[in-house]
Amino acid sequence: MVYKVSYVVLGGAHPGAIINQFDQPKVGEHIKIGKNTFEIVEVNELMPARGDFAFLHATVKQVEGKSKKK
Amino acid sequence: MTSQLQLYKAVEMFNGLTNEQIEALIAISQQEVYQEDQIIFSQDDEGDKMYIIRIGQVEISVQKNIHSPAETKIFLGQGQIFGEIALIDYGKRSATVRAMTEETVVDAIHRDSFNELCQSSTAIGFVVMRNLAIDLSYKLRHQNLRNADR
Repeated sequence: MVYKVSYVVLGGAHPGAIINQFDQPKVGEHIKIGKNTFEIVEVNELMPARGDFAFLHATVKQVEGKSKKK
Repeated sequence: MTSQLQLYKAVEMFNGLTNEQIEALIAISQQEVYQEDQIIFSQDDEGDKMYIIRIGQVEISVQKNIHSPAETKIFLGQGQIFGEIALIDYGKRSATVRAMTEETVVDAIHRDSFNELCQSSTAIGFVVMRNLAIDLSYKLRHQNLRNADR
């Protein structure tokens, strides 16, 4: 399964990102968007899955320090 | 299966195509490599190619007018496409795209080659155009969620 993830940053000041990934995003994981690192705080389905693609929406918040992943 | 074919199968634009049809698209794509902060194209440039991100991330930014600073609209990562609007409507580039990672690798597909392929295989043309529409819809949903969170 390919997870197409819409990452939306809490507060709306950062534009967020759309990324295809093979691992399902999980709450607590870190992701680098541009030059900043964010922590995933919520994951929901954005659109129904189609074929091998799942469409997810992840809400993230900015964190300090090094990322655990990516 | 080639690694490029595996990668393309993870690109939503090619979802629903057979391996043979994806190979036909691979045949008309050209790899381009950009360094961090390098501009891939600028807003208002003439646009005749769309791009698929193989490795890295890009920043999409828009300048509303010459007096305002460019505003970052979104970051796109692996498997995403950009530059497709100019490919479809023949207009100028609607945004500036900058590589955000040390080695950003993209595959470029030229409009003429793409149109020729779609005309020679309407099955490919239908699937790719449908997927492009879904991708644009997804980007709109992302923007709506972002606006709702402001």
